[in-house]
Amino acid sequence: MTAIRKYREMSRTQRKEWMRELIINNSLYVFLIAAVVVIQFISPNFLSGPSIVNIISLSAANLPIALGIAGAIILTGTDLSAGRIVGLVACVSASLLQASGYPAKMFPNLPTMNFLLVFLIALAIGGIIGLINGFCTAKFNLHPFIVTLSTQLIVYGGLLMYLNIGNNNGQSISGLDPSYTSFITGSFISLGSTPIPNYVWYSLVITAIMWFVWNKTTFGKNMFAVGSNQEAANVSGVNVKRVIVLVFGLAGIMYGITGFIEAARIGSNSAATGLNYELDAIAAAVIGGVSFVGGIGKIRGVILGVVLLRLIFVGLTFLSIDANMQYIIKGLIILVACAIDMRKYLVRK
Amino acid sequence: MFKKIMALCLACVMLSLSLASCGKRGEADVHVFYYTYSDTYISSVRSSLDKALDGAKISYQDYDGNGNQTTQTEQIQTAITKGAKLILVNIVNTGSDDAANGIVSLAKEKGIPVVFFNREVSDAVIKSYDKCAYIGTRAEEAGKLQGEMIGEYLRDNFEKVDLNGDGKISYIMFKGEEGNNEAIYRTQYSVEEANKILSAAGREKLSFYDKSNPNKYLVDRNGQWSAAAANEYMTTALTSYNEQNKNMIELVICNNDGMAQGAITALNSVGYNTGEGKMIPVFGVDATTAAQELIKGKKMAGTIKQDAEGMAEALRLVAENGLAGRSLVTGTEKYDVDSDVAKIRIAYSKYLG
Repeated sequence: MTAIRKYREMSRTQRKEWMRELIINNSLYVFLIAAVVVIQFISPNFLSGPSIVNIISLSAANLPIALGIAGAIILTGTDLSAGRIVGLVACVSASLLQASGYPAKMFPNLPTMNFLLVFLIALAIGGIIGLINGFCTAKFNLHPFIVTLSTQLIVYGGLLMYLNIGNNNGQSISGLDPSYTSFITGSFISLGSTPIPNYVWYSLVITAIMWFVWNKTTFGKNMFAVGSNQEAANVSGVNVKRVIVLVFGLAGIMYGITGFIEAARIGSNSAATGLNYELDAIAAAVIGGVSFVGGIGKIRGVILGVVLLRLIFVGLTFLSIDANMQYIIKGLIILVACAIDMRKYLVRK
Repeated sequence: MFKKIMALCLACVMLSLSLASCGKRGEADVHVFYYTYSDTYISSVRSSLDKALDGAKISYQDYDGNGNQTTQTEQIQTAITKGAKLILVNIVNTGSDDAANGIVSLAKEKGIPVVFFNREVSDAVIKSYDKCAYIGTRAEEAGKLQGEMIGEYLRDNFEKVDLNGDGKISYIMFKGEEGNNEAIYRTQYSVEEANKILSAAGREKLSFYDKSNPNKYLVDRNGQWSAAAANEYMTTALTSYNEQNKNMIELVICNNDGMAQGAITALNSVGYNTGEGKMIPVFGVDATTAAQELIKGKKMAGTIKQDAEGMAEALRLVAENGLAGRSLVTGTEKYDVDSDVAKIRIAYSKYLG
């Protein structure tokens, strides 16, 4: 209401200025809507039921990792080990959940495990590596870029070794137990005739939990406080080191969830699984307004970023545009989005 | 004090780790450079070759180029200064001769034999040095065999495959990476050969599912030949190309089995290729164990077997020749060797279960 009153009180030039600001500040949304309209016009199937479900499920699969990495960015850090952790967790989950009787089984004598137990193992692997990231960052006062660069390499080495144990010989891991795949990719609700895969719901639940953690808990408030000014947070009694360790630990758990979903979603897991996922996740987070300045970021921003990146992928595939263009468009969007954010940030300051 | 002890402990652990990993091999004679450990087929070559060299009591050391030519060239430099007697190179960069020529000249300085394998180098490189050979497949053979297999399958099952009954088979093609000869040939010949057989049988040629895509393929943008890329393209394509719209994709051709598997997972999610009921024929290359299982379970139509053990055997033979100072191609009569250059070809074969 106040916005409307303010607008009424403005002079003509002020109104013009106000409109200009509005469009610049929301240019991502403007671009998003324009892109959807154009793609829909050229390729009418773009907004059909199955296509919408596809965009949602592709986004859902990429959401947890982006939410995890966003926490690290809020602390003015980053996380380069995310993709490899996803790969490791995916391969471990898949190897523990191969159908019994599958001839190329990695551990032939392993009975069919309960997938919920393996899910906990996945969370534990991701969480522990995340805690190590956080511990090294906090304890040795290192920038997370360096810490996670190291753990990225260590995790990849571990993954390559893991693929060679049992009677696997470095092969990709597949032949998953139906209980596992149906838990992840099965469906109990359909949109029209298109089944919505279960992992969409899991992703929603995780997003809700993350929203609660970020906005309603002391830990979440401390995270933003540490991100915007470590010294100030420290002085006002926040245990900065503990917050850093926990943020990375939580991020690790998110990668664990992503890996657990990814293994069943793709069905074939190798050392290439998870490669460069962290870059997409970082891109999604910064597009959505999570700032490298620190202390700034919203869950809905991360969701917007993830969906936008998937929309580009699906849209360009629909338009049959050369894959090379996708890099250029993605690059431009990241650049523009961050420039706008920085502009807003400076104005506020 | 505590910190110093910690540092000392850590250093000891690292030292023992590095000693444990190389100690058992001692000073290796043969150094093997793989383009990347993450490639499934290369992993099976590696485990077969390790076994073959162990069996022949040849000491060796393996390296991971991690898909980066600079890394690999530096590894080779170091190995040669360390005293390698023979090097086996699965070169990263196949686009031009520069990298291969660099490696050959490094080996030439010390007079040690160099054998390239799996990823092909040009004839000129091999001919530039008398202690140089190549062991691999004919790049175009996999694509041709795959095309033949597809053509024969379609000829025998045309009505069943042609779901919308328009007399044409619409296909989707997944390419592993841009600028790789294997990928280019597989993408090209699989369709060409299949079309030859279809034409001979009086059928229409294959038509790409998406009329507006001039490339007639979808490529893994990371160049990883990955299941994930194929899976995401396939799920996206299936949203607008399906049986309700009477334009269902009726055939899936993939550059490798990983991509085939990704496509099959996508088909599974809309109720195809589950082993019973409807099945869209999916073809791959490599005959990985996973693909063999899928074919057995009637979820995949066929693949092309690349013989990892045969490759390892040939490499062992050539390595023995090189270490004994013989000509590299001694005793390779049983293989298909090019007439004018030392290139030994391992045959592909069709795998239909």
